[in-house]
Amino acid sequence: MTACGAFDIIISMNWNLFLVSMHIIGVILGTGGATFAEIFYLKAKRDGVFEPLEVDYLKLSYFVLRTGLFLLVLSGFGLLLSLRFHEFGAPLLGVKLWAKLLIVLIIILNAFLIQARKMPMWLGSSLSITSWYTATILGLWRGIPYSFGQIMIFYLLSVMLVAYILHIIDKRILKSVTIKK
Amino acid sequence: MATSLSIFLAFHVIIGVTGVFLFGGVSLGLLKKKISVKMLKLFSLGGLISYLTAWITGGHYYVVHYGVKVKPIIKAGNMPWAHSIVMEAKEHLFLFLPFLAFMSMASIWLLKEDLNEMPKFKNAVMLISLAAFIIGVLMALGGIIISGAATI
Repeated sequence: MTACGAFDIIISMNWNLFLVSMHIIGVILGTGGATFAEIFYLKAKRDGVFEPLEVDYLKLSYFVLRTGLFLLVLSGFGLLLSLRFHEFGAPLLGVKLWAKLLIVLIIILNAFLIQARKMPMWLGSSLSITSWYTATILGLWRGIPYSFGQIMIFYLLSVMLVAYILHIIDKRILKSVTIKK
Repeated sequence: MATSLSIFLAFHVIIGVTGVFLFGGVSLGLLKKKISVKMLKLFSLGGLISYLTAWITGGHYYVVHYGVKVKPIIKAGNMPWAHSIVMEAKEHLFLFLPFLAFMSMASIWLLKEDLNEMPKFKNAVMLISLAAFIIGVLMALGGIIISGAATI
């Protein structure tokens, strides 16, 4: 191997490490932001009034979430480019990538519909948090043995289940506040 | 692929995705009751510059490398539709992007806070920005399919 070839490999490895790190940081910020946005939202709505400080916390969570989404998508495309440059195209057409892409699109569409007030919050919250966790799990899982359809069916069932769990938490919190009053 | 072409392709993708995000931000910002003009001006101008840069770098890559080397590989492979449908659609849809982006940017820069007083026009600018965002997303997804077809 020539010195130049070795240098290219080192550069390529460092670049890949940088992209993977960015991708992981994006996932952490996005999933963490979605989780805390949901916690702050449930906490804020229990007395029926959104105080300025509570709104500030919610805005901050959404900012962290969107920053995570930006890092995640940008580094994701960087990783896809890396595959393209190494002439390794199979993952570009793989089930895992397209499931993740569809879920990221759902996260973005959900954000639009919530902002336009066309999405009921019970479904919007569930979609957001389930999508982020599903994308994280898909990213971590090596060699997923399921088809695209199976992954999507599992995802949709999870959205319904999480919506039900959030509904129960919401009712319990409201009940506890009412009893205290 | 020559290093300079790799840089062109990487720049085309990264700057294009940035443009998509910026126009997503513009659409979301225009959905608010009271818009943040400073943010919208910054995002729409950034989005327009991103799309124009992606247009030029993508065009250069297409003319110098794709048409000569990649296209024949895709057409001879298992997924010839990746060129005949996806790339053809990408080529033609891509023509709209800088113009949509310019219309959105010009409306925001010229009308500023007055957009708040014109809800119907604000909605129309939001739809234009949303179109620039959705077409950008389709471009990106098409690019993944084409890259996959070229290297599988």
